[in-house]
Amino acid sequence: MCGLIMNKVYFIAKKELLTYFKTPMAYIILLLSICIFNVFFFMIIDQNREVSLQNVFQIMEFMFVFLVPLLTMRLLSEEKSTGTMEFLMTAPLSNNAIVLGKYLGMLTFFSLLIAMTGIYFVIIEYFGAPDILTTLSGYLGIWLEGAFFIAIGLMTSSWTQNQIIAAMSAYAILFLLYFSASFTSYVSGPGEIIIQQFSTLTHLENFVAGIMTPADLIYYISGILFCLVLTRLSIENRRLK
Amino acid sequence: MIITKNVCKKYGAFQALDNVSFEIKRGEIVGFLGKNGAGKTSLMRILTSYLQATSGEVFIDGIDVAKNSLQIRQKIGYLPETPPLYDNMSVKDYLRFAAEIKDVPAKRRRRQIDKVLEQCQLEGVSHKTISTLSKGYKQRVGIAQAIIHEPALLILDEPTSGLDPIQNRQVRQLIQDLNTERTVILSSHTLAEIEQVAQRVLMIKAGKLIVDEDLPTLIKQNQLEHQPALNLEDIFIKYHQEECVV
Repeated sequence: MCGLIMNKVYFIAKKELLTYFKTPMAYIILLLSICIFNVFFFMIIDQNREVSLQNVFQIMEFMFVFLVPLLTMRLLSEEKSTGTMEFLMTAPLSNNAIVLGKYLGMLTFFSLLIAMTGIYFVIIEYFGAPDILTTLSGYLGIWLEGAFFIAIGLMTSSWTQNQIIAAMSAYAILFLLYFSASFTSYVSGPGEIIIQQFSTLTHLENFVAGIMTPADLIYYISGILFCLVLTRLSIENRRLK
Repeated sequence: MIITKNVCKKYGAFQALDNVSFEIKRGEIVGFLGKNGAGKTSLMRILTSYLQATSGEVFIDGIDVAKNSLQIRQKIGYLPETPPLYDNMSVKDYLRFAAEIKDVPAKRRRRQIDKVLEQCQLEGVSHKTISTLSKGYKQRVGIAQAIIHEPALLILDEPTSGLDPIQNRQVRQLIQDLNTERTVILSSHTLAEIEQVAQRVLMIKAGKLIVDEDLPTLIKQNQLEHQPALNLEDIFIKYHQEECVV
């Protein structure tokens, strides 16, 4: 039974990825992102003269706040607007399979983007002796952050059939998560701690510094699961309307 | 094969379906008639489990649609009013995806795709991108995805809407051919088409089932002596007379 569900998750993820690569959007986003990352990578290396990707990861995180909603806005809202949601929901597919298939399809695309930046590690490895574990921890952190952002984008995409509204809703949540750390100077006590724990910046900082704490892992994993469950509920709710 | 008991559907305060009950036997071709907004699409969506009824029960082959929707969906092929197509996929890729998610065994997939391509006369466009196809071909691709897993029940919501007379006839012939193996429910505003294809008619008016009859019996019941022979359109207008302006 579980194997059958995973098969269907795979079929949806594969279709998602293949159809995405049939549009120019996939290539534009890959090309544009990698060009911007390259510029910042060489600027940072030139300026800092350090064999570390710490600052590159922070730039990547900032970029993903703007990039991920562009990737995810169409995931479910397009299915709704074109009527293909009816096709998926009248096929023998569970809601879990639809949500996971869509999510894993986009996560694979995102992983490809991250994998393309692996060349930076090769470059700094060639010119110096970077701390491999710290770099790998940074990569894991940025991948988890992207995975969390994609789950948020998928969730907002399930709320509406309008792609612009889906993207704007995702931006609102991501800005709140990313920039909330800036508000810590205005509050103190428990409020400050709550905001710090809420912000993605705080959690990624640890990964980038090579510190992997259970709290940071739980933050990302529970955030992803929470968004996927809400996406499933949003789809389920469609049947009752 | 299908039993519906007191099915009601409300959208907020609007009552789309009001205590609809009927039975459909295996192998029948049944036409759903009604004006726009009468509740035909809502009823079809409830049968496919895309929507949940506000109250009432639907059983297909004795299985409760609300409780076992995944099991039911394996038995149903559904063509919504707008064919649900992925425009940037080729016809073959789309049908492959449909076969994969509709549990067609991997060994039979290629044979099944070739079979529906032939049945729906799509062999010539199988490698074309769906967005480049004419409306008639898109409609046929929609029907092909609905029958790819050889469902026992086929539900077609306005399958000939927007087609030219030749395409219309082809789709009609296809529906008749498909009926040799399965039960078919279809809705259409082209009453002549229902008359040619369906054996039985269910007419819905403002969410209520007002006619459930075999087509010859329905015509016989409404035929007045010494009057010209009635067709389904005359009967449809008779049941909606108070709303017709002559």
